[in-house]
Amino acid sequence: MVAHLVSPALLGLAAATVQVEADLRPGLPAFAVVGLPDTAVQEARERVRSGIANQAYGLPRGRIVVNLAPADLRKAGPQYDLPIALSLLAATKQLDGRALAGVGAVGELALDGSLRPVAGVLAMAEHAARSRWRRFVVPAPNAAEAALVRGIDIVPVTGLRHAVDTLEGRAAVDVPNVDPQALLSAGSQANAPDLGEVRGQLVARRALEVAAAGGHSLLMIGPPGAGKTMLARRLPAVLPPLDVDEALTLTRIHSVAGLLPHGQPMVAQRPFRAPHHTISAVGLIGGGRTPQPGEVTLAHLGVLFLDEVPAFAPAALDALRQPLEEGCIDITRGMVTARFPARPLLICAGNPCPCGFDGDPRRRCTCPPGRQEAYRARISGPVVDRLDLQIDVPRLDSEDIVGTAVSSEATSAVRARVQSARRYAAERGQHVINADLTPAQVREACRLDDDGRSLLARAIDRHGLSARAHDRLLRVGRTIADLAGVERVGSEHLAEALQYRTSGLARPE
Amino acid sequence: MSWQLGLARLAALVGRDLQRPARHAGGGERLWSAGSATLERLLRLDADALATVHACRRTFDAAAEVAALRKIGVGWVPIGDRDYPPALAEIPDPPFGLFTCGAPLAVTSHGNPPVVAIVGARRATAPGLRFARTLAAELAERGAVILSGLALGIDAEAHEGALTADRVTIAVLGSGVDVIHPRRNTTLRHRIHAGGTLVSEYWPGTTPAPWRFPARNRIVAGMADAVVVVEAGERSGALITADFALEQGRPVLAVPGAPGAAASVGCNALLRAGAAMCESAGDVVAEIPAGAWRPERPHTQTAPDGLDGTIYELLCREPLRIEELAIRASGDAAAIAGALARLEVGGLVFRGQGQRFWASPLRGAA
Repeated sequence: MVAHLVSPALLGLAAATVQVEADLRPGLPAFAVVGLPDTAVQEARERVRSGIANQAYGLPRGRIVVNLAPADLRKAGPQYDLPIALSLLAATKQLDGRALAGVGAVGELALDGSLRPVAGVLAMAEHAARSRWRRFVVPAPNAAEAALVRGIDIVPVTGLRHAVDTLEGRAAVDVPNVDPQALLSAGSQANAPDLGEVRGQLVARRALEVAAAGGHSLLMIGPPGAGKTMLARRLPAVLPPLDVDEALTLTRIHSVAGLLPHGQPMVAQRPFRAPHHTISAVGLIGGGRTPQPGEVTLAHLGVLFLDEVPAFAPAALDALRQPLEEGCIDITRGMVTARFPARPLLICAGNPCPCGFDGDPRRRCTCPPGRQEAYRARISGPVVDRLDLQIDVPRLDSEDIVGTAVSSEATSAVRARVQSARRYAAERGQHVINADLTPAQVREACRLDDDGRSLLARAIDRHGLSARAHDRLLRVGRTIADLAGVERVGSEHLAEALQYRTSGLARPE
Repeated sequence: MSWQLGLARLAALVGRDLQRPARHAGGGERLWSAGSATLERLLRLDADALATVHACRRTFDAAAEVAALRKIGVGWVPIGDRDYPPALAEIPDPPFGLFTCGAPLAVTSHGNPPVVAIVGARRATAPGLRFARTLAAELAERGAVILSGLALGIDAEAHEGALTADRVTIAVLGSGVDVIHPRRNTTLRHRIHAGGTLVSEYWPGTTPAPWRFPARNRIVAGMADAVVVVEAGERSGALITADFALEQGRPVLAVPGAPGAAASVGCNALLRAGAAMCESAGDVVAEIPAGAWRPERPHTQTAPDGLDGTIYELLCREPLRIEELAIRASGDAAAIAGALARLEVGGLVFRGQGQRFWASPLRGAA
């Protein structure tokens, strides 16, 4: 007797259909799982055996074969526990086989037969809806996440017996009612650190505003304790709020990575990711035998903060190039290619020198001549080329902080300006962020007046700007003009952009 | 007249300075032709080394060596030669000869221009570096040949200044003229090679050694009509150059620093000891009254106004970080960033250590 149902297999952020079949044969007692299962799937045998027994069902002695088709697709993770158990119960007639027609299931079994949540349920539910499965059985803790998808009957279950009862119609289906828009507005501002808590740092605050308005990547150079991390953490909330589509994309990514916080069905805030500098290239861009998103994808639509950027392995930083340029990353492993979106706002921070105290008002820098340059040269190359804004973040004396007459603006005020700048850019008829303008678009969008042209010419003369730096300068100038709400990029906008350009890693001439 | 090149070869062979043995022998020529016993006494060499020295002397063919050097682009100016700097010949322990790379020494000394050595610390401050460069550029524009030691810091800026003014500059090296040291000055070295002269008393290929730099400094002082020390700490090599200059009777100028400023302790000590004060190119010109100076070209920079002016004035008083400026000037970070960038492009403000901005004095202003 063969019983079967379907289950989704994750391929990056997409899913494929896996047929789960169980067959019972007389013979020596054995339990085999075939169809390229990984170790977690192999171990499903023990969880399924205990789960079935502890929920007062039985398994006959004899030969049990579970097949996961297609046989050439690698199956990973504990998510096949529930479909395997259900197929066995149907094969042994403890569950009506007809109740399994068109049913998909996913879930990890505990030894007592209750269900544990699994990762990637949103992507799976979307696959279920697209594939027109009749019902999709998910562990109850995943129900809200699955319910974000329209057009599929979600069946939340707490355990094996509950699943059987629900499928056979003896228990009511209790689907949570979720409204993505409501979840979004409720979660968007909760607990986000506010810019109003940062005293002083007027220039850095302005640079954050420009970065957020134009999507420009930012490099902050300053001694330890200057507040670089504090500033970066406040950037996600300065960006415009997420819309529902963006939130669903983020939820899909974070769910696949298993990072969705317990009891929170949807990502409602822009992510902030700050990987440690020892991270590998794979950790940064993603990878693994079953492709998993890396930090650059986890920070999609949010902020990727690389603190101590000179300490990152050059190979890891180099690997960032493709995702930063193309906005996505393709990961091919064996027969599977997964495409992950990767469009974070890149924020890098570093000390001004190896000892960290160059420019500190209290401590002397002890680096010998040349060491500072060597240290800074570590981040040179493609990544530095991508950093549109470069600023110094000095450590402030306490009297400077106390003496600041201007009270710090709150995030909401800055965000309002960022949003109006983006609106203004859209009114100009531009539908990409300024940071993504191509050289041809830059020339189109940034028409200069005579003052601007002459300033630019003198700047090229004095600072020896490359063609690339020149375009970057114009893009940042465009954003500053957008913030001011003016059509033409004036010399004052260009001058400000120039200030953010020649700082940081650029050597004094 | 082949003993000069022979001694340079010998010095490279035994890896030490032959000035003192030459003095004891009663002159370089005598040392070169000294008998075996004298040579052994003066050089204090073991038998093996002595054998090599003898072999070298026996087979040495100066004409062939000069031709070989020329082939690799190295010139040779022995003491007594027409092109040998006359001032250098008069110092105690003059080098036996100079290896040159780039323009011949005769070209650089054509028209008898004043030669100004600008020296200072490797680890210099931003305003020190800036001053060294503008001083070199202004003096070069007025006709001086700028001389320095191609070290990092002040030396490099002095050469840069002369090169940006499109004038020749001479670098005196503590290694062979074909040895690149320090590595970070590679580009600068190539530019001097193209538009000036590299000079050394050491055989090409000689690697730098700590004792060669003080010896090099005596040549810097010896070739110069005046020595300007821009920044020198307590034990800077630039002070050695200044000592040589005093010994050789050359005027020494020092750029004053703030009381107690670590980067200028040496300069201030020189000033206390009677060195002339150097605040501008005019001070150097005044110290070499006999020099063939060109008249000063009028430069007039107008003082900035508006916010730019406010910031410039603040920076004239003390170097400040952009954050401090934002607090002091108005609080509008965007406007201040723009004003600073404009001042920087205009050359009135530059940035240096500690993320600070410094004002550059207005040229031509009263």
